[in-house]
Amino acid sequence: MKILIKSATIVNSKNTILADILIENGRIAKVERNVKEDADRKIDAKDKFVLPGLIDLHTHLRTPGREDEEDLISGSCAAAKGGFTTILCMPNTNPCIDNEGVVEWIREESQKIGIVDIIPIGAITKERKGKELTEFGALKKAGCLALSDDGSSIDDSYLFRRALEYAKMFNLIIVSHCEDKSLSLQGAMRECFISGKYGMSSIPDIAETIRVFRDIEIAKYVNTKLHLAHISCKKSIELIRKEKEIFSYLTCETSPHYFILTVEDVEKSNFHGNFKVNPPLGERNDVEEIKKALKEGIIDCIATDHAPHSFAEKEAPFENAPFGVIGLELAFSLTYTYLVREKIISLNQLVEKLSYNPANILGLKERGEIKEDAIADLIIVDVNKSWQVISKNLVSKSKNTPFLNSELMGLVELTIHQGKIVYERPFFPSINLSSGE
Amino acid sequence: MVEWTKKHILEIKDLTRQEMEVVFNLASSFKEVSQREVKKTPALRGKTVVNLFFENSTRTRTSFELAAKRLSADVLNFSSSTSSISKGESVVDTIKNLESYRPDILIIRIDTGACLKNFLNYTRASIINAGDGKNEHPTQALLDMFTVKEVKGSLDNLNVLIVGDIMHSRVCRSNIFGFQKFSSKVRVCGPPAFIPFEFEKLGVDVFYDLDRAIEDVDVIIMLRIQRERQNLAYFSTLREYVENFSLTPERLKRAKKDCIVMHPGPVNWDVEISSTLKDELHPLILKQVENGLAIRMAVLYLVGAEKREHKTLRR
Repeated sequence: MKILIKSATIVNSKNTILADILIENGRIAKVERNVKEDADRKIDAKDKFVLPGLIDLHTHLRTPGREDEEDLISGSCAAAKGGFTTILCMPNTNPCIDNEGVVEWIREESQKIGIVDIIPIGAITKERKGKELTEFGALKKAGCLALSDDGSSIDDSYLFRRALEYAKMFNLIIVSHCEDKSLSLQGAMRECFISGKYGMSSIPDIAETIRVFRDIEIAKYVNTKLHLAHISCKKSIELIRKEKEIFSYLTCETSPHYFILTVEDVEKSNFHGNFKVNPPLGERNDVEEIKKALKEGIIDCIATDHAPHSFAEKEAPFENAPFGVIGLELAFSLTYTYLVREKIISLNQLVEKLSYNPANILGLKERGEIKEDAIADLIIVDVNKSWQVISKNLVSKSKNTPFLNSELMGLVELTIHQGKIVYERPFFPSINLSSGE
Repeated sequence: MVEWTKKHILEIKDLTRQEMEVVFNLASSFKEVSQREVKKTPALRGKTVVNLFFENSTRTRTSFELAAKRLSADVLNFSSSTSSISKGESVVDTIKNLESYRPDILIIRIDTGACLKNFLNYTRASIINAGDGKNEHPTQALLDMFTVKEVKGSLDNLNVLIVGDIMHSRVCRSNIFGFQKFSSKVRVCGPPAFIPFEFEKLGVDVFYDLDRAIEDVDVIIMLRIQRERQNLAYFSTLREYVENFSLTPERLKRAKKDCIVMHPGPVNWDVEISSTLKDELHPLILKQVENGLAIRMAVLYLVGAEKREHKTLRR
């Protein structure tokens, strides 16, 4: 199938160009003005932007194990609707993604669905217990590009060092969730004035920063790649800023809620479970520092940390509710609304954080940029359209987001994955499903 | 007199000084009821009050139960150990289930903080907070203030000192917000691990040294210490805690002459308070229990009896 996108304003991380795009055999065949060729489908992209497909380094798909909260189909649809064409899913599943069997199963099933590319992140230790290393080589062969114990930071520094060394041999990247659990304990929100005022069990920001420091020092010592997940506080950024000057293997991400929401929003929600995330939401100065770091390029990526939870789990009292919010359908619009429109970053930088840098970190050379011969993963967005986040219109099985009923700017109109239209608002043509908008 | 408009008693944070005064005045009237031969008034006849206790409690539950019964309400006691919570039912589902009986007042005690406002979505009943996590325990603060008012005549411009485990104390938080609304100054004193983050921003003075904190105070509230905190290193040994934070006759001398001492109970004598002070201090602590009943009758009446004049109590 040939697709021709006419009058596209192509936004790559480094430039914006006006051209037509011809897609053939799953690849971008031509990027040039006035392509005359015939195509099976012609799309007029006048007044819209065409971006490389977004890449999410941090998704939880709850599969296998909690398919009531998300499965590979609903997760794929949520991703495509949000403009993602490649997502990496974390191994905190049941069974855990700690062996090639589970990796192969997810790869095969998701390819059968064929809506987005799902690349599992393998566990570093068996069952993410922080005791024994998994078989990195087998995980890599099965398709993993990155490894992480996700929510369970490896407390044993010796083991973490050995994991980094072993990962180096396979050219795998370690993604670290930085949390010193002896400090965070059973905390539910950031330790701050508000937590004290309500006697809410709390987590100090240093629980993250201390682990950031340790992980960077070990990675520097081993001299290998390290990616830090969902950075949430000013202190961590100050440290990362300094280290990045001398250590080029270091990359990091944040998530939209960390550059938008604060502990004050937690209070205003009357401590609703949808505002409970780990690491917890910070204070105003953390949000400002994260925005600054995104602008400066200290933070390389924006990842969703998409974490579906059932309604019943999230309506529990705040201190008992599980951590996490969904993000696949929201990340683009949140980033556009709160960063691009507010002139914190440009649309090119949005592409850098949500596509180009993640591709680079994973070594996916044919993604993250609209150019000839690249894989045809791209999206058409209308940044002038606003939309309201309404629970029933979300295609994710779970609706746990603090942005319910918010009005956001920027809408993904069309998602092409490997040369195939997988989402054309509001339809998922390949599986004959509508998002219901 | 102000007209009562609050449907719920969730946090002292939400109450005004005038509203608290309404509660105190009404409580004074209700004290009289409890001294009668027939200790009952028909104020809440036909109303259903549910004691919904997701956390163990005997004292507060008993106090609320008796208060509701003296107002002639039908009382249903529900505690998590004997209920469907132990079968895995969620707190929210329990509330939804009880809602089918159309209760008028839910008195809720729960181990998670600041969760009651979200429960309002699931019930038409009034909710009275009987202690939510470490957040608030409004009726305890009201009874404490009421007791102070009875003894001192006024709640204005007092120096109030709260000693002990400030961090985990809902009683402490409610008292801080309450006394501050009467322009009294609150000091807190305990080991640093028991003092919440940036707590001074609440407008309280923080002390680690009880001998200094106690100077010139009119009211002391000693908080119960939970011995298991020692295991989490909030302090080292109980011996050392007692040495630094126990109220002794010598320490008490540093406070104002007419200083009163309260304790939400039950007291660990010789831990929070030296037993040599028992004869002197215990009567007021028991008075708190008596006042607790009157305060709880007052709040039940206020939220339970809609559109009433509160100038006088109908007897």
